[in-house]
Amino acid sequence: MTEELRVSVDRRDAGAIMYTKGYINNVGGEEIANRAYELMDGGVRTLLLNLRETKIVNSIGISILIEIIEKMIEKGGRIAFCCLTPVIHKTFQIMGLANYATIFTDEDAAVKELAI
Amino acid sequence: MTASPERQMELTLPMVPDIEIAAARAAGNLAREIGMASASIDEMAHAMIEACINAREHSGSQDRRIYVKITGTSLGEGNSRIDIWITDHGRGFNVTEARSRRQQLGAVHKRGWGLQIIEAHMDEVSITTSDDGTTIHMVKYGKNDD
Repeated sequence: MTEELRVSVDRRDAGAIMYTKGYINNVGGEEIANRAYELMDGGVRTLLLNLRETKIVNSIGISILIEIIEKMIEKGGRIAFCCLTPVIHKTFQIMGLANYATIFTDEDAAVKELAI
Repeated sequence: MTASPERQMELTLPMVPDIEIAAARAAGNLAREIGMASASIDEMAHAMIEACINAREHSGSQDRRIYVKITGTSLGEGNSRIDIWITDHGRGFNVTEARSRRQQLGAVHKRGWGLQIIEAHMDEVSITTSDDGTTIHMVKYGKNDD
């Protein structure tokens, strides 16, 4: 069985918003990473991941998200998340991701705070 | 008096990518049948996903199967309980070492969080492991949906 992740990007002048739909596992995490690294190579330093349509994550997928955060921090940028389900938010906190990326309740608040 | 399970399910699953989703969906369906609230089901599903991934990725089992047993029990007064057993016939592991892992950003190893996630999302977790395999028994209590 497959649970493919779909990723779409809204590129903006001051950054980008990435939308995910589906399961963030190892394959989904790599897909997010590839798109994020393309954006970083293109100069994006503020990236918001909107997980509104992702209901399931696993620890391997989150470990890849942590790697993306590390690379963005190395480049002097920042990554934030919004629209997490309660269980995904809790899982992010367990793995420490919440200590290194801001988590917003909704996209409007994130866009305003990040100025993208 | 101890309530007896109203629902029971046993699955034998191949160790293939994303099979953890099938296991989590089966448990979620059973939990919904006894009325467990969706927030509790979501936590249970994420714990189950990690348990199945641990079995698939780390057990080294020769038969490449995950054995799943799920029971659901209504406890009265709008409360319910789900018991899940995930068994593999692999080589076992050191539970103390697995529990002691606490990775940080920048650490060499970012993986190995499965057990911490399982214990955070479930109410009770016990592990029986030996050279003949591992069984993780997880319990989730929940208020029922109105």
